[in-house]
Amino acid sequence: MAEVLNRTATRQPTWNTSGFVTEMQSNELNCATEQVGNYFLNPNWDNSMDQSDPFESALSSMVSSPAASNVLPVSGENVMMRELIGKLGNICNSGDISPQFSIKPNTNTGSANASFNSTPLNSPPRLNLSMVNLPAAFSADPGFAERAARFSCFSGLNDPLMDSFKLSGNQSIKVDGSQSIKNSPMEANSPENAESGVSKEDSSVSQQIPARNDAGTRKRKSIPRGKAKEIPSPAAADAKVATENGESNSKRSKQDGSPGNGNEKQNKENSKPPEPPKDYIHVRARRGQATDSHSLAERVRREKISERMKFLQDLVPGCNKVTGKAVMLDEIINYVQSLQRQVEFLSMKLANVNPRTDINMEALLSKDMFQSRGSLLHGIYSMDSSAPTFPFGYQPQQGLHLNSGIPNATETQFSMKTQGFQLPSIDGFTDANPHVGSIWEDDLQSIVQMGFGQNQPQGYQGSIATGQVKIEL
Amino acid sequence: MNKYNPPRMNPSSLRSRFATRFLRSLSKINAKKPTASSSSPTEIFRRYRRIKVAADKSMAYSVRSRRTWSRAMLWKLRTRPCCRRSVKTSTIVRKTRHEKQNKNTTTTTGEDGVVFGVEADELRELVPGGEAMDLYNLLDETAHYIKCLTTQVQVMKKIADFYSP
Repeated sequence: MAEVLNRTATRQPTWNTSGFVTEMQSNELNCATEQVGNYFLNPNWDNSMDQSDPFESALSSMVSSPAASNVLPVSGENVMMRELIGKLGNICNSGDISPQFSIKPNTNTGSANASFNSTPLNSPPRLNLSMVNLPAAFSADPGFAERAARFSCFSGLNDPLMDSFKLSGNQSIKVDGSQSIKNSPMEANSPENAESGVSKEDSSVSQQIPARNDAGTRKRKSIPRGKAKEIPSPAAADAKVATENGESNSKRSKQDGSPGNGNEKQNKENSKPPEPPKDYIHVRARRGQATDSHSLAERVRREKISERMKFLQDLVPGCNKVTGKAVMLDEIINYVQSLQRQVEFLSMKLANVNPRTDINMEALLSKDMFQSRGSLLHGIYSMDSSAPTFPFGYQPQQGLHLNSGIPNATETQFSMKTQGFQLPSIDGFTDANPHVGSIWEDDLQSIVQMGFGQNQPQGYQGSIATGQVKIEL
Repeated sequence: MNKYNPPRMNPSSLRSRFATRFLRSLSKINAKKPTASSSSPTEIFRRYRRIKVAADKSMAYSVRSRRTWSRAMLWKLRTRPCCRRSVKTSTIVRKTRHEKQNKNTTTTTGEDGVVFGVEADELRELVPGGEAMDLYNLLDETAHYIKCLTTQVQVMKKIADFYSP
């Protein structure tokens, strides 16, 4: 084992010259190798979790420079490199690896997501299959197989990288000749080949995050964000947590950004430049809220609806103090019903009153033009709703009384309107409200003064009587 | 002031449009009826129905087809049993078009239906053409419908006042 370490250390410079990693990354790799040695000798994988954080950033920075990682050295040091990177991957994912090693195939998704805490941009499916296909013989060296799998995922950024890895994998078979190594790359390759289509898409999607989404739409951004959020949570999970928690973690991470590695994730997101304006409505996902497109669209809808409700609140009188959508809707329904009933009542009234009138249409129209103040009548709509219950036979009597006064009514009404108030209708719109009744009586008195009552004292008395009766009601 | 200058009113406002139309139809209705049998309840009821229809129709015509509820109301009025004779074919064409329009606006109210539930259905029954609308459009139509209803009520009240002050 120590030999491997030495070889990896010596291979470092050649690796760098191949252009695989930048200088900074090489430094980090050096540090990593030292740590790797510790972990490699340490049979207890759980402890490796403690020191995984410093390497996560290193690995993520390595991951985030896909341009530099175009070329993978395809030479004899491939095996060493694989081991090295596998170890590096192991550092970050160690806590999840050992329990995941005994995963059944059907829990692959959870394990894949769980193992991605440090390499969020890698494609999950590859890890799944490589994990699945590791034979039981690996139990002797679980770390190695996992590292190999890690490397396959780690190199998932670039397809050329992937291809070269496959090549190196094949070569490693020849080099080592051990069955264990042979098994893993071969089996890892075939499913990877099958998944290459998917992984390509994933890698391209994941590349958007570091490469900055200049052309990304809202939907596409939310997907990597969602995936990215899936990844950090498992890292925060306890190493000893069973794999069944892996899936729930990945699901939970969508709802709550887990604080542990979530901070790192959010730091990465914050470092991104702000979104450029795009064609349609953009909603930025708030912190701690789900970012999938469905919830975003739902939130937009809810905001639009609440805006509409506010507008309706202004329209419906008496709704200012009401809070809550359900109560508001009830109020609106009541108001609409009362308005409709008012229309019915008015049409009934018109059906009754009409028969005896030969009203001048123009006068009527001009009267309508005058009346811009319907506030008095409008404000008592609630009383009007009770008007239909008014005795129906009442009205023809009034018609009899007042029709003779109609020729004068137009003039008096005109003059009345100039005074700025409106005579409440006698037959029934006013009500039990004493305030309105008193106003009405005052109006009547003014009418009398204007001469309305002079010509038709009878009608006036009749109207007064009816008015009084009304007030009692 | 010696001369009384009435305040100018916007001739193209909803109120004036509705008022002119309604008064015209009202005068037609009044001209139609025989004065002799005007006091019988059935006759009064019939007149009431006609006036109500005239009011709704004139309001819907004032709004034209700009609103879903006005379209729905016009279609409803056109396909009434007593009017069916003259507008059969055109109604059918309009009906399919109307249904298509409604279907285009139909969306599931899954997330919001959970919030509002029963009240939204009640509102849909009240507002003509509201059955096929999602909540947001329903609220929009309700707002305009309320505005038109209030105008209608005001004008009719003034007319009723004028007839029987």
